[in-house]
Amino acid sequence: MYAEQANKLVLDAKRIQKLPHLPPYAATTVRAVTKEVRDLDREVSSLLAPYNTGSTQGSDGTQIKSGGFNPADDPATACALLVNHLSMRRNKRCLLAYHRVRTDKLEELCWSGIDIADLQAAGSTSTSRNGNQNAMASSLSAEEEQYMHQYSDLLAAYKGQWTDIDLTGSLEPPKDIFIDVRVLKDAGEIQTEYGSITLTKNSQFYVRQADVERLIQQGYLQKLG
Amino acid sequence: MDDDIADILASVSAPPLPQRTLDLQALTRAWVTERTAPELLPYPTELVERVMERVGKQISTIEDMTGTMDPQANFTLVILQTELERFKFLVRSLVRARIAKIDAYPHHYLTLPALLSPLERQYLASHQALLSSHYSTSFLSTFPTNLQKLDDTAGGISMVDKPDEDAAVFCRVLRDAGVVEIQGPSQVSEAELKRGDVWVMRWSTVREAVRRGDVELI
Repeated sequence: MYAEQANKLVLDAKRIQKLPHLPPYAATTVRAVTKEVRDLDREVSSLLAPYNTGSTQGSDGTQIKSGGFNPADDPATACALLVNHLSMRRNKRCLLAYHRVRTDKLEELCWSGIDIADLQAAGSTSTSRNGNQNAMASSLSAEEEQYMHQYSDLLAAYKGQWTDIDLTGSLEPPKDIFIDVRVLKDAGEIQTEYGSITLTKNSQFYVRQADVERLIQQGYLQKLG
Repeated sequence: MDDDIADILASVSAPPLPQRTLDLQALTRAWVTERTAPELLPYPTELVERVMERVGKQISTIEDMTGTMDPQANFTLVILQTELERFKFLVRSLVRARIAKIDAYPHHYLTLPALLSPLERQYLASHQALLSSHYSTSFLSTFPTNLQKLDDTAGGISMVDKPDEDAAVFCRVLRDAGVVEIQGPSQVSEAELKRGDVWVMRWSTVREAVRRGDVELI
């Protein structure tokens, strides 16, 4: 049936919105939907071919009216054209929605400070640990990987203009400038205005929030209280 | 504190406040409005410039004070840093709220460049370029040419999405703002916006008053 494949994409997109990770890119479905659109377009052109006397016309509704085809003469063809036309547009909307949801997800990742290298690193460790082939990096299509690269560059350029403010910082209103943190993973030594601190696993520190913001985001530290 | 703001705005004869206090109020208000309004508001260029300049100054003051290592200064330092963090948070949250709106309705705001700052315009343009090249490499390039447009308005449904201008917002009236018309389900009624009133209204109804500064969103 028309648009059945596209509906799959939409359902998938709906599901992605709620998921914490990104499931694999539905390459086969996307290909099937684009193929459907091309088939429909071909059908439209072949339906219109007999009416195509002089001017070249597209499948667009307004152009049909202005051309040699009169819908009132042949309601059956007109109906077929309309259905084909709407199905193509619907398929396009579904594809756009699916890709938009995925890119939104990728942008979110970029904003939270994860870049593609981290994803691949995370992917390869989880692959080696439990043989999980559905790691994050491999679930992106090649285009999506490229998009994510370019978007993080764009974001970095935009952030670079705000010299004094880290735009990717926490969106929680700051209460105290000093916070208690617990170290979850060894993070080595960091330099602060009050001297250097060596962050070893399971130790606890009272530090300035601005100094450790990035480490909290990256999962090295956990904020307490 | 809210009464204070209303008083200040209501009477011109009130003792003038220092610019920095007014800026803080303006920044807080801009932040609240940006976060609650369904639509992007004009970018407060001058305000952000003044605030950023002050943030820069404050950072260097703090650096100077840490350099002296005076135990007496520690308490002041903590207060200054807290203030700085809060200012940074306000600006950050404001900018992020704007970016989120721009990302949600990119094509709509492409037609309204006056609302954006030069930086945001740059961001929007390059983001759109990225997105459309992503779409086209992913699937659009294989589409029939007449279906490849992203801002198509033909065919019954416009592809350009708009923010919901009729969304309800909570607002407080700071200055008497006259009478506004409210479109009910069957008839049009009127409401007088009197100073101190709190209303729930459609954004399209109070938009002008908010831009004038007669009404603030809460």
